[in-house]
Amino acid sequence: MLTATDHETAIETPHVETWQPRIIAFLCNWCSYTGADLAGISRIQWDPSVSIVRVMCSGRMDPTFVVKAYRLGADGVIISGCHPGDCHYQEGNYKALRRVHLLKRLLIGFGIDPERLRLVWVSASEGDQWAETANDMAREIRDLGPLRLPT
Amino acid sequence: MPTTDEARIGVYVCHCGFNIAATVDVEAVRDVAADQPGVVCARDYEFMCSNAGQDLIKRDIEENGVNRVVVAACSPLMHEPTFRAAGEEAGLNPYLVHIANIREQCAWVHDDRIAGTAKAESLVNGAVARVALHEPLEAAHAEVNPTTLVVGGGIAGIQAALDISDAGNEVYIVERQSTIGGMMARFDKTFPTLDCAACILTPKMVAADRRDNIHLLTESEVESVDGFVGNFTVRVREKARFVTADCTSCGECVKVCPVSVPDPFNQYMSNRTAIHKAFPQAIPSDYTIDRQGSPPCMEACPIHQNAAGYVSLIAEGRFAEAANLIRRRNPLPFICGRVCYAPCEEVCSRDEVDEPIAIRALKRFAMDWQRENEPEPVPAPPEHHYAERVAVVGSGPAGLTCAFDLATNGYNVTVFEKHEKLGGMLAVGLPSYRCPPDIVDYDIDYIRKLGVEMKTGTELGRDFTLDDLTNGHSGGDYSAVFLAIGAHEGIPLGIPNDDADGVISGIDYLRNINLGLPQETGTRVAVVGGGNTAMDAARAARREGAEVTVLYRRTKAEMPAEEDEFEDAVAEGVRFEYLVAPVEVLVTDGRVRALDCVTMRLDEPDASGRPRPVPVEGSNHEREFDTVILSISQRPDRGWYGDAEHDVAPLGLSRWGTFEVDPASLQTTMPGVFAGGDDVLGPATVVEAMGQGRRGAEAIDRYLRGRPLEGFTSHMPPADPKRGFEERPYEQSPEYGAIPTAPRAAMPKRPVADRLADYVEVDLGFSEDDARREAQRCLHCGVCAECRACAEVCPPQAVRLDMEDTITTLDVGQILVSTGFKSFDSSRITQYGYGRFDNVVTSLEFERMLNATGPTGGKVLCKNGEPPRAVGIVHCVGSRDEHYNRYCSRVCCMAALKFAHLVIDRTDAEVYQFYIDMRAFGKGYEEFYTRVLEEGSTVIRGKVAEVVPAHRSNGDGPHLVVRCEDTLIGKYREIPVDMVVLCNALEPQVDADEVGRVFSISRSPDGFFLERHPKLDPVGTTTDGVYIAGCSQGPKDIPDTVAQAQASAARILSLIGQGEVTIDPVRATVNEKLCGGCKTCLSLCPYTAITFDDEGEVAVVNEALCKGCGTCVAACPASAITGAGFTDDQILAELAGLLAPVG
Repeated sequence: MLTATDHETAIETPHVETWQPRIIAFLCNWCSYTGADLAGISRIQWDPSVSIVRVMCSGRMDPTFVVKAYRLGADGVIISGCHPGDCHYQEGNYKALRRVHLLKRLLIGFGIDPERLRLVWVSASEGDQWAETANDMAREIRDLGPLRLPT
Repeated sequence: MPTTDEARIGVYVCHCGFNIAATVDVEAVRDVAADQPGVVCARDYEFMCSNAGQDLIKRDIEENGVNRVVVAACSPLMHEPTFRAAGEEAGLNPYLVHIANIREQCAWVHDDRIAGTAKAESLVNGAVARVALHEPLEAAHAEVNPTTLVVGGGIAGIQAALDISDAGNEVYIVERQSTIGGMMARFDKTFPTLDCAACILTPKMVAADRRDNIHLLTESEVESVDGFVGNFTVRVREKARFVTADCTSCGECVKVCPVSVPDPFNQYMSNRTAIHKAFPQAIPSDYTIDRQGSPPCMEACPIHQNAAGYVSLIAEGRFAEAANLIRRRNPLPFICGRVCYAPCEEVCSRDEVDEPIAIRALKRFAMDWQRENEPEPVPAPPEHHYAERVAVVGSGPAGLTCAFDLATNGYNVTVFEKHEKLGGMLAVGLPSYRCPPDIVDYDIDYIRKLGVEMKTGTELGRDFTLDDLTNGHSGGDYSAVFLAIGAHEGIPLGIPNDDADGVISGIDYLRNINLGLPQETGTRVAVVGGGNTAMDAARAARREGAEVTVLYRRTKAEMPAEEDEFEDAVAEGVRFEYLVAPVEVLVTDGRVRALDCVTMRLDEPDASGRPRPVPVEGSNHEREFDTVILSISQRPDRGWYGDAEHDVAPLGLSRWGTFEVDPASLQTTMPGVFAGGDDVLGPATVVEAMGQGRRGAEAIDRYLRGRPLEGFTSHMPPADPKRGFEERPYEQSPEYGAIPTAPRAAMPKRPVADRLADYVEVDLGFSEDDARREAQRCLHCGVCAECRACAEVCPPQAVRLDMEDTITTLDVGQILVSTGFKSFDSSRITQYGYGRFDNVVTSLEFERMLNATGPTGGKVLCKNGEPPRAVGIVHCVGSRDEHYNRYCSRVCCMAALKFAHLVIDRTDAEVYQFYIDMRAFGKGYEEFYTRVLEEGSTVIRGKVAEVVPAHRSNGDGPHLVVRCEDTLIGKYREIPVDMVVLCNALEPQVDADEVGRVFSISRSPDGFFLERHPKLDPVGTTTDGVYIAGCSQGPKDIPDTVAQAQASAARILSLIGQGEVTIDPVRATVNEKLCGGCKTCLSLCPYTAITFDDEGEVAVVNEALCKGCGTCVAACPASAITGAGFTDDQILAELAGLLAPVG
């Protein structure tokens, strides 16, 4: 049923010289996704290694999604929601915050650098902020190098 | 469509002209997509959103059996509805269409074609993997409530409301100000046609007022919004106006209001009264009172004395009214005018400028004036009489206030006083040079006139017991008792020999002097202590001819005595020694000979917050005195218990010997017996005791009338009373630094040499001129002074100072937010001199100056009253400037041209315009520009560098010089002018952030509200059913504002016409088989959409309340909750597709 498993086996260890990071960004529909669109409308360039997955709210973020993303080959994950107090669903972003705090501690246990997960707040008017976030994360992940999960 | 169908996916890659194709190799993307599992066809097209593009999709659905669609194109926020509709037309469930955003989030943000193409391939792969798992969803529908809410009653709000109501729908306008009309109501003329703003606006305001289906809520703000498009529930707070709808706008109130504060409607250039109407044509036309709680001076006063009120009346020379106002709340006004410690002055806002207003001295002035100039006032008899009798024990300030209030209320009151003289501590503790005995008697006589019976020389415990009062043995059957016996027993110092001859407590000493009892005062007197009683005793001892030294164990900074009293004591020759404390009274033949003293030093602060004094070792020294007055503190007299052996105190007492009372009702442990004043508080001030007397009277009234002893209305000052402006952000809060200083009037006093000879009053009181000048220093920081003058003259009695805010809940279908703009604060550009030079004004100030109802009646005048000889008009102040706002404010060029025209029209002045670029973009604007040029306005292209004062050799030159570079001739120029008009930027309202949050509207980087699409949906927002119009969306002129308002009205009417809305089926559902009943989800749902079915022990989602955020889906430990459209499987599949290797 889960198509994800088909791909999991296909992942190869990348060559360091040609390696490009793969970063998954989960953006809430109301603030951050619109903010990323604004970066596009304004033609503010950001790193192509970041790919966006739209969710309705950062509160929808299941920690499984993050772990699965690493498992499927992502080197970093960004979660971005509305600024505190601005959540379209009142307080979903706070719930995301709580989960990320816990998840980061688990990541350490898995041997994954918690810097590979980043929670940010980007509003619909912050196209430049989004571009900066994406670029900054890409830089960070390039510094950290490819994620090698324990087998 | 059955969900088990094998997915047959069609992929459609859009070129979007070059928008996508320039960075993304769309053919490559198409080919990669074609190889993905489940994909049956993949196509690319130049404009997929065109009819031809949509037809490609439809044809594949109809002819090639495509049952899932991926469109790789622009953002789903843009064309998802378009492609879903196309799918639906071809018979596909719209939720089986998915968008891969390869434009905004790929082609437009990457310049590397290889990387861009690879990313687009990933995005499409993710979408393909996701859409394979999509299931058909059915959208729900809900009815649309045709009632509409318009927030902001400017021209945008009014116009939209009129249009919507024209179609027969109800509209509520919520406006924060007291009138609708917004900024346009402040303008004089409008460009380019030069028609009068009021002439075209006021008919619309009146129409909005007259319509039965438009409801105006002014001085109101939206507190919260719940619900969704078509069905919002809005909570509105309507602030108390303090004037009822009975107001006939006759304006009698304005004539008597003594308050004068800068008028925000006139940009603070003129003043208005506290009760006011914003401008003559204001709608609603009722007056309103600018009032936010009581002024701080009144708030800080335990008897809630209307200090600001009588100060304002005195400032106007209305002394008799002031005295009558004082009497409304104060039964001891003469005494308070002399000895009150004036907590009001401690919170006076004037202290921020220089010194507090001399409020106490002004009270004394008003009362003395009334005594000298008016017939003796008689208190109003009570409106009704009660049969019950109340006994008040003690005739100090607490007892007298309680007696006065009860008698006013219609009770029979008897006051018992143990001394022959009435007044308690006022009579025995206050030296007569501060408060002459005839003054105390005068106040008490007024209370006696109410019929209060006074029994002197009758002492509790000696002449009667508490039991006698309540059991009818003492000349009456009292239904309630108020104990106000004070704290008359000096606390001994607790050092050896402190009971020797020649050692006396301060309070006993003062009593003996005041009552003319025998009291020996030696020649060398020590007063131990630093409080007010110590000062009183020291000054009294000086009058008895002694040399007096005050010994205080801390320093001057910690001394609790009032500064005035201290200064008088010093003037009268009292010596002060600090950091010294007696440790033993040295005695010869049982009589004091000297004090053994130690030097102290200050240590860390103790519990009282003051530094703790500690003795310096080995610093003992002997000081010779023949009299020692100990003035440490006092406690209630304990003699009244009677014989402690067999008559224990019948009432609960604290360990300090004060009565144990309920803090709210002041009831003692015995029902019906209340207590207040020093016998509860310990030694306190006159006015604090009076406050307790007042509360006691209210409690006794409640007790006797059988009403609950709670919900008291008599005032209790807050523990930490706040100063004026800081805690009360009134619109007209001035900068304290900008207020010219004026010293506090000094109290005239008798010469020191005369004072020591007798006990005649030292303070002489203000003259009329002194008093008025002093009262005029009041800043009116509380605006309404609660003098009630307006209430007294109002013919329909429409003034109600006890009015409270009301909360209204409105059910509306759609909301228009048209909350307008705020004007840029020009003082931020210091080099332009606004706020520093008199004749540098802002555009709004200039509008008011031009307006016939404005501060100059429509004349263009400099501050000195002369018309200007030359006027400089500066464009782009705070806009098109990266230090402030980068955007163009759009209206300033045309407003500046309008100003130029009006100056030329109304004065003989030359006009210079300083502009960067002249933007005359609208219909008739260019023609208007040409016309103004022809009228003789000079235009100089260049940004103004600075405005400086002119150097005048003969005093007759221009006032100001504008310095700038004329970029057209390439020269630096200095233009002499008399007046400079700054055309300020339009900025978002200060609370746009908060308002945006209430209505779930985002803001663009410039801070204005963000429209759903800058071109295609300029009045919609990302929240369905919430629209924006006018300057809250961005700077614009009146024609554009009205156009947006009408556009919003059309959108609103269109949805009302449809009658129902489609609700996105993105909703959570619980799989009952998997739900373990852990209830984790219940507390997470912000909409309480999840309830628990106790029978089935499972969570249940109410679909009508669920908004689809998915928080519960993520949290469910059993994965029992599914979020339609965003299921775990779909998201994980998208991840897998995205991360699969490509290329």
